[in-house]
Amino acid sequence: MTTMQAISGTTAARLDGGSKIYGAGDTEVRALDNVTVEFEAGRYTAIMGPSGSGKSTLLHCTAGLDDLSDGRVYIGDVELGSLKEKDLTLLRREKVGFVFQAFNLIPTLNARENVLLPMLIAGEDHDDAWFEQVVGILGLGDRLSHRPSELSGGQQQRVAAARALVSRPEIIFADEPSGNLDSKSAAELLDFMRRAVKEFGQTIVMVTHDPVAASYADRVVFLEDGKIVDELHNPTTDSVIDRMRQFGA
Amino acid sequence: MIRTALKTVFAHKLRLALTALSVMMGVAFIAGTFIFTDTINDTFGQLFDDIYEGQDIIVQASTEFDVGFSGPPPIDEEVLDLVVAVPGVEVAEGGVQSSATIFDKDDEGIIPTGPPTLGASLTDDLRLAGNAGLREGRVPETGSEVAIDAATADSNDLVVGDVVKIETPVVTDTYEIVGIIRFGDSDNLAGATFAGFELETAQQVLDLEGQYSAITVIVEDGASVDVVRNSIAVALPEGVEAVSAADEAAEQSEALSESLGFLQNALLIFALVAVFVATFIIQNTFRIIVRQRQKELALMRAVGATGSQVVWMVVIEALVVGLVASILGLAFGFVIAGLLTAGMSAVGFDLPSTAATLAPRTIIVGMAVGVVVTIASAVLPAIRASRIPPVAALQDVDITLRMSDRRRTTIGVVLLVLGMGGILNGLFGDVVDFGPLDELTAIGVGAILVFLAVSMLSSLVVKPAARFLGWPMIKLDNMTGNLAVENSVRKPRRTATTASALMIGLALVTFFFVLGDSIKSSASASIEEGLRADYVVSIDGFSGGFSPALGDELREQPEIGAVTSLRFGFWDNDGSEDFVMGLDTDTVDETIFLGVVQGSTEALGEGGVFVQEDIFNDNDWVLGDTVPMGFVATGLQHVEIVGVFTEANVVQANYLVGMDFHEANFAGYGADLDFVLAVNAADGADADSARAVVDATASEYAGATVRDQVEYRESQENQVNQILVLFNGLLFLAVIIAVIGIVNTLALSIFERTREIGLLRAVGTSRWQIRRMITWEAMIVAIIGAVLGIVVGLFFGVSVTAALASQGIDVLSIPLGQIIGLVIFGAIAGLLAAILPARRASKLNILEAISYH
Ligand SMILES: Nc1ncnc2c1ncn2[C@@H]1O[C@H](COP(=O)(O)OP(=O)(O)OP(=O)(O)O)[C@@H](O)[C@H]1O
Ligand SMILES: [Mg+2]
Repeated sequence: MTTMQAISGTTAARLDGGSKIYGAGDTEVRALDNVTVEFEAGRYTAIMGPSGSGKSTLLHCTAGLDDLSDGRVYIGDVELGSLKEKDLTLLRREKVGFVFQAFNLIPTLNARENVLLPMLIAGEDHDDAWFEQVVGILGLGDRLSHRPSELSGGQQQRVAAARALVSRPEIIFADEPSGNLDSKSAAELLDFMRRAVKEFGQTIVMVTHDPVAASYADRVVFLEDGKIVDELHNPTTDSVIDRMRQFGA
Repeated sequence: MIRTALKTVFAHKLRLALTALSVMMGVAFIAGTFIFTDTINDTFGQLFDDIYEGQDIIVQASTEFDVGFSGPPPIDEEVLDLVVAVPGVEVAEGGVQSSATIFDKDDEGIIPTGPPTLGASLTDDLRLAGNAGLREGRVPETGSEVAIDAATADSNDLVVGDVVKIETPVVTDTYEIVGIIRFGDSDNLAGATFAGFELETAQQVLDLEGQYSAITVIVEDGASVDVVRNSIAVALPEGVEAVSAADEAAEQSEALSESLGFLQNALLIFALVAVFVATFIIQNTFRIIVRQRQKELALMRAVGATGSQVVWMVVIEALVVGLVASILGLAFGFVIAGLLTAGMSAVGFDLPSTAATLAPRTIIVGMAVGVVVTIASAVLPAIRASRIPPVAALQDVDITLRMSDRRRTTIGVVLLVLGMGGILNGLFGDVVDFGPLDELTAIGVGAILVFLAVSMLSSLVVKPAARFLGWPMIKLDNMTGNLAVENSVRKPRRTATTASALMIGLALVTFFFVLGDSIKSSASASIEEGLRADYVVSIDGFSGGFSPALGDELREQPEIGAVTSLRFGFWDNDGSEDFVMGLDTDTVDETIFLGVVQGSTEALGEGGVFVQEDIFNDNDWVLGDTVPMGFVATGLQHVEIVGVFTEANVVQANYLVGMDFHEANFAGYGADLDFVLAVNAADGADADSARAVVDATASEYAGATVRDQVEYRESQENQVNQILVLFNGLLFLAVIIAVIGIVNTLALSIFERTREIGLLRAVGTSRWQIRRMITWEAMIVAIIGAVLGIVVGLFFGVSVTAALASQGIDVLSIPLGQIIGLVIFGAIAGLLAAILPARRASKLNILEAISYH
């Protein structure tokens, strides 16, 4: 406990003995099994593991989108279980960014509005220079007035990433953000995310199946059957592939 | 296949419930109308059977014409001797019947609104009394005794031994109550008050001395009713007939059914409006459902289901919804029937309440309408669904086949032109011969076409309208407002159909507003112009009148100047019922402006008839021509036209006769009561004291109400207002169905947008903001519907009013306040419609929403 508190200043989010159980009795599934993990501020963490190992569940629970069956989650110093629905919404709006696996954009809004959505909802102004920079780097400058249906899948994913970045949340969760992208677009997106971490101190937690994507991160956490089984620091594509072989995958 | 279809129905209970609700309400309205009118019919049929129970033959005056409610004129007393002498007659007794008003303990006349106040003789022989019997006391035996009905007694705390005041056409006097009468199982005769006298007294006070209204006969045991009836008929003088009591009961109840038929038709029109609106809703619902199930249906096609199997699946779902909804609708029909009864009594028709009648016809029609309407609404979307190419549908794009905008616009414009043409033609013109269609049908079909056309064309205005309406919402509520506007224009046709359902109801409301306001303004204007009298004494409610003695008393007062009596009378105008007003020709010029353009009122006093100018011209009559008028009492008379007048609004009749003529042709039973008195203060008399005199004199007469010019105008306006309330009350159901439609469409759209809403929530939109978004959207749809309805309603109202100009509705008046009220109503309706869907949307679990497929 004391160690945790000592480093809490640099912890962006933390899961403490978190378990998530779906169903009951015969159909009970332990998607997370007593997981304790922390995500340090200003670091880029990748989460990997076989399909069904609980990666999305971990992400959702840590982001406050879902309740834990047991254990606690902290965003910064705030314990989410104690928050009322309204405060949880506010916290998500202000401190958390999210990029989903699919379906990220509101079809009636154009790209620009989608990027600015959290600020528009909150009725806040945005930082213009930062907006231009994000949009520029993601190569969306000439697509801002288009609706999602007029964008390619990769462009849609980049708009979603821009939305997560522009509001400069304390922590961004991304569920396979590069899943739908060709390798060049994927590289651009991942590179940008790493720059956000390195240059602007952004905290990012990303689920991925792709060892190349994982190699952009500072740290890789491996999940299997709802438990953390290993982690790697400063991974390379090869070290990740090596580690993954041990899963027999 | 069927099982799959049923599974989908029951998997979406809310969807099923909402869809079924709109069908249910339409069916309920139809069933309720039938139940309501059937119940009244049965009640009255039973009533007439009861009245004639145990009697065999009725002897009464034979009449050539049967108009009004007064029954045949009286016959001479001596006829009884002829009847008694006929072999086979066991008993025969004469009786009289007319009107008599009983006063309560506060000296107020007890006057039910609608049913009459009856005064009659009581029979000596109880077998002749029908089902009437004494609950307590005895039959009156002297001229100062009376028996009254149990309902009047009980509700006014009158008991045997009390002394009551009773007003008859001849005299107002006090009588001791000696008996309380019941009629079979009911305490009164269909709501009427009843005062029964001993025969001679009755003849005297009811102004029927030496006369009988009818003679009732019971034949000897074993004798044939028909044989005896024939023997009596032979013995009777001319103008008197003998009919079997059973026939008479049947005839009277049939006459009543006929007049109820009108009510039934009127109610059914409102019911059909409700069904029409429901059709929009159901069709829209099925369209959305099919769209949402596009992937699912396409998958079924991909694994081998044929197109017709897909159609069947949707149709079976519709069948289930239709059946469930119709059954519930039938049940709910009883509630509607109850509401109709309550509504009728609120506007002044007290109806007897008995067990509701559910005829097989009600069930068949209700079920048929519910099921057919639902299936018909589902077929088109189902066929479209079956044409979806299996592979294309798996991609999440809306590729539902539909008409192109241009084709839709063309069809819409054609329908609009046809519909407006039909209406204008039906109203004004003989430009096109509709062949088998009469004017009303042309107008009705025209209206339906206009509604369809507007609903088709309105998808074109949805975008600009929503942007316009949404502007303040966006100003007020930036992001949320913006999303609401975008959502409402996303599927313009869906929004248009939803709004159109509301449009129909509100168009008709607007129509009635405009027509009603024009009628009120026209009536006010004509009263202002046409009424010269300072005061009007009239009877409230729908029946009877008051004793001419009131007018005579007033004429004697020094404070009072000219007094004109107006008396109502029905006559047979070439097979249809018409009415005539008898008036005091020597004073009418001082009290009422008739606009006499030919002839003079003095001449009318000598005999003959005045005809309203338009009718005079339409018939190409000239002065000196005769009008064939059929009277109940005196048969067919060829009455000479002695004058022409223009202002029919104050006298409320297109034919005027002198009082002598009226008395000669409407002798007896009720027709000799004054309907209205137009009263002037004497020259130089103080207005306050003149009014006081009129008030004091009239207060002695049951039901006579005194009004000055302003009050009279207001009372006329109030009558129109009451009818407006009734009509709009009937339309309310259609409006509610439309609001349910908005709820339904919103709920389904939210279902469709589950992931989107989840995403909004995930990025920090609060529940409250989601609610606001849905509410704004509902308000946009509802206000568009209201505004469209107002536009269409104004067209209906203005054209119908223009067409009625020759009927005395010559002032067009558009009630701006009420119309603005309708827009506000629309906004509130949207607000209310949003409550449930908005709550549902805001409660969506974010994760489930996001992972929703
Ligand atoms: N709503 C749910 N109800 C029941 N079980 C669930 C639910 N959501 C997830 N699970 C189960 O929990 C486990 C973890 O699911 P999760 O979605 O976290 O896996 P994942 O690691 O993200 O897999 P993938 O790589 O395929 O996305 C799986 O076994 C899954 O079947
Ligand atoms: Mg996952």
